[in-house]
Amino acid sequence: MTATAGNRTRAGFRQVRAGHLFVLPYVVLLALFGVVPVCYSVYLAFTDAGGGFAGFSNFTRTATDYRFLPALGHVAVYLVIWLAMLSVLVVSLTLVVHQLASRRTKAVIRLAYYIPGALAGASSVLLWLFVLDPTVSPVAPLLKAMGSDHFTDVITPGHLPVIFAIIAFWTGAGGWILVLYGALNTIPADVIVAAKMDGAGRIRTALSIQLPMIRKSITYMLILAFAAGTQLFVEPQLISQASFGVVPNDYSVNQLAYQFAFTQNDFNGSAAIALDLLVIALVSTSLFVTRGRLFDTD
Amino acid sequence: MEMVHSNAHGRRPRRAGRVRGAALTATAVIGALTLAACSGGQSVGGNSSVADSGSKYGFKAASQDSKAQVTVWVDSTREPIAKAYNKAHPHAQVKIVTYDGNANGSNTFKTKTQLFDRAGSGWPDVAFTTDNNSASWGSFGGTGDLAAVNKGLVPQTTLDNFAKGSLDVCTVKGVTYCFRNDLAQNVLWYNKKLMDKFGYQVPTTWEQYQQLAGKVAAEHPGYLVGTAGDAWTPEIYMWAAQCPANDVTGAKTIKADTSDPKCVRAAKMLDRLIADKTMSTLSLFGSDFVKNEADKVLMLPGPSWYGGSVFQGTLKTPAGQIAAASPLKWADDDQTVTGDVGGGAWWISSHSKNLKAAADFATWVTGQAKYGSALAPTYPAYVPAARTWASETQKSGYYADDIVAPLSQAAGQVWSGWGSAQFSQEAIWAKVVQAGMAQGKTVVSQLPAWQTEIENQARTFGYEVTK
Amino acid sequence: MSTPASVTAQRWAWRSLTSVILIVFGIFFLVPVVWLLLAGAKTDHELVSANPFSPGSLQALRHNWGALMSFQGGAVKTWMKNSVLYALLALVITLAVSIPAGYALAKLRFKGRRLLLITTLVVMLMPTSALVLPIFLEVNYVHLVNTPLSVVLPFSFFPFGVYLAYIYFAEAVPGELLEAAKIDGCSEVGIFTRIALPLAMPVVALVGFFSFVQNWNNFFLPYVMLPGSNAYPMQVGLSQMLTSTPNFNPVVGANAEVSPPELVLATLISAAPVLVIFLLAQRYVVGGLTAGATKG
Repeated sequence: MTATAGNRTRAGFRQVRAGHLFVLPYVVLLALFGVVPVCYSVYLAFTDAGGGFAGFSNFTRTATDYRFLPALGHVAVYLVIWLAMLSVLVVSLTLVVHQLASRRTKAVIRLAYYIPGALAGASSVLLWLFVLDPTVSPVAPLLKAMGSDHFTDVITPGHLPVIFAIIAFWTGAGGWILVLYGALNTIPADVIVAAKMDGAGRIRTALSIQLPMIRKSITYMLILAFAAGTQLFVEPQLISQASFGVVPNDYSVNQLAYQFAFTQNDFNGSAAIALDLLVIALVSTSLFVTRGRLFDTD
Repeated sequence: MEMVHSNAHGRRPRRAGRVRGAALTATAVIGALTLAACSGGQSVGGNSSVADSGSKYGFKAASQDSKAQVTVWVDSTREPIAKAYNKAHPHAQVKIVTYDGNANGSNTFKTKTQLFDRAGSGWPDVAFTTDNNSASWGSFGGTGDLAAVNKGLVPQTTLDNFAKGSLDVCTVKGVTYCFRNDLAQNVLWYNKKLMDKFGYQVPTTWEQYQQLAGKVAAEHPGYLVGTAGDAWTPEIYMWAAQCPANDVTGAKTIKADTSDPKCVRAAKMLDRLIADKTMSTLSLFGSDFVKNEADKVLMLPGPSWYGGSVFQGTLKTPAGQIAAASPLKWADDDQTVTGDVGGGAWWISSHSKNLKAAADFATWVTGQAKYGSALAPTYPAYVPAARTWASETQKSGYYADDIVAPLSQAAGQVWSGWGSAQFSQEAIWAKVVQAGMAQGKTVVSQLPAWQTEIENQARTFGYEVTK
Repeated sequence: MSTPASVTAQRWAWRSLTSVILIVFGIFFLVPVVWLLLAGAKTDHELVSANPFSPGSLQALRHNWGALMSFQGGAVKTWMKNSVLYALLALVITLAVSIPAGYALAKLRFKGRRLLLITTLVVMLMPTSALVLPIFLEVNYVHLVNTPLSVVLPFSFFPFGVYLAYIYFAEAVPGELLEAAKIDGCSEVGIFTRIALPLAMPVVALVGFFSFVQNWNNFFLPYVMLPGSNAYPMQVGLSQMLTSTPNFNPVVGANAEVSPPELVLATLISAAPVLVIFLLAQRYVVGGLTAGATKG
């Protein structure tokens, strides 16, 4: 008895030591490029430019900035459209691709849907400048059918959340499809076969077997998509550049944080806005986590 | 895309909450320790103690080293001229770094400088920007990043060679912080061939211009007398109308009143011409304009660089058609004034360890009319260089008439009542007025919104706004 | 009761419905890409005036290519080389760090495990705009600004990769197997390198792919860290090219260094490595996620 106990303790000790050894390099990087920067932002958010304690004044100052509420509104509308699009379209597309018979077709489709994800940054500004201009656009008939004859008609404020959601979907959906596809693959084939033998149709199988079984992956996708959505930055920045400022560069909350830091040289205000966003992301994440039972053990 | 794949990590929610609390406490502690260690070295912008009238250059300079290598930031257009400097000065090589030149609102110059300020090192000695609104930001009353050039660094005789008023945008409280690279004075560009064909006289006042526009609308519909589709529209029409929308009266004070009759007269003119369809609301550089309006431009009030970059470059108007006339005058005004669209600038860092070499570089490049074998793309602000530039440009044979006289005349007519604040008037116009125009609103109806946005932006940057 | 005929009809209807959906979305994803591919072989004028789907010409392609390669004395090649260097170095460190960390988090019991998982999640949710200044200050503090390490080290911190590895080890590598090895006297390090790692090749490919893509496309960090144009990676270079086109820097006009078709070509070059890596990794990426099925 004592020998086994001793063995177990020694084994446990060995595990602890190995565990620490294995995570050590990661902990160093996490501290340097994750924890310390986050803490520094917290410090900035509660101090003034001279380094003195500022209480919540950075938060009230930024929240009462004339651009803050409009930006918040923009992001809220965008989020609704973006999350709806992502959850419905990505999930359905993945299910449809997954049930195809040919391996080769599946691979080709996954690649085709992913390709836009390889394009990023400055060059996409040019791409959207052309795609959204009805005079030269490859999708001109579509834009004209929606009543837009000029670039400026396309980028009217009412269209923007949809445009940003489409851009985000175009670049990001392929990656998410790949992730959910992989999750679907983890469902054992015999479960599906059994469902079929019970007479369940494809849609029935998808709704009552496949979706519940990849619930965690979908929840995870929504958490990250929600966080990425509240931190909307790239898409409005692209269109702001492509429209030469007609779409302002303070459209979203995160852009505003950027403006505070680098245009106004107000890193404290910027950190306060970033913390606002972090809190929103954390609150919603915990909501998703409980609702989606993400941390439950099966 | 940020991406994570996850199925589960077996953890109970109740416990997670407690652990999260612990995590936050722990991270806060680590953070506090780190910060306590670093906070001593943190420097903050907005340092008015940079000014020092007792010193050689009028500010507290770093200790100088005449051997220190000078680093210059240029955009890719300015790269040849920096290389030419190195060729001409084999013993005073500068290190050339190309960057985006702050173009298209990228704000790179300020973004990076502010990071360097916090880090306490890394600044370039000289930087070129395609815009010229960094003076008040980097002035002694601002971040203190810019060197004063008229307090002993550069002889007054050199400064006097810059076109009259061209250094106003670089000057805050009598201290000049930059050399203008080029002038962007507005003139009236017109298509001589078409004007002759239609039998029209080139107007000299804005009133005649509007009348002629009316005739064009009736007799030759489809032809254009101007455009209002770019962010610099106010710098062409409002500036020339002496609209007091951007009167920078001090380092942190600005006067703006867009309801002034002088603004209203320009706004009414724009609305009338837009309604007549003789003024386009498309961007000059957009595909739409290039494709559909390129051969419809009869007249085009605009900056000196329109000649090369709009007509020759973008619209590809054949040689022998385009000419320039002097800026238009409002009949009621005492004298002709004009506006100015952009115009790059060279800035010297107050942190430079070799100010003399930095200044030598900056004055040398501003004095050149040619970049290597090619002519500079824009009208030099340095008068002797401008003379060479204009006559060389004329010699190219592209223009249908003399452009030297109107351009050099306009160079001295830029109205000084339109300043250069820390924020961008172009961005404001694009965000508010241009966006409204796209939805069919008139310019007159948007003057109040324009005012509000100017006030908001100004206050955001700590300006005091008066009417 | 359904007759065989109606079942066939149903199946046929389902197949055509899914085909239509897949094709419609295929068009959605690919039309702009096709346009982009064609645009690289056009002249500036054709890009604006010709039909968006006209093929362009070989001559224009050659001209654009030549102009692109001579931009700033071959800067594009330097930028591509830099991108490869930064992304690959970061990739190696990322894998060396994330895979053992994910393994330990999933399979070993040690103090601070949960804390680590939660901290990682919190850090992932922080807006990156807030992290730029502190990271810059840190890198500057150790005098690494303007060195490859200034981008490689922050790139190597890849919490998503750690989570990926963690989930994979937790789900797809059976604990019994590791337990058996332990009884056979294997050390913890031995178990990881000899048993767990060979089983984890799929997730190595997965983490590697996502890390490569993220670092390859990252703009802001190298933009902030690298003041010298010779050290720029492709994405920062592209943005510099963008501001050298007449569309975005109208003043340059007739003397413009870069025309839009050249920029399009640069875009295609910059995207190519990502697609190649995708093709290479797709087998593993999908396989890596599939492997979970073996356990059930």
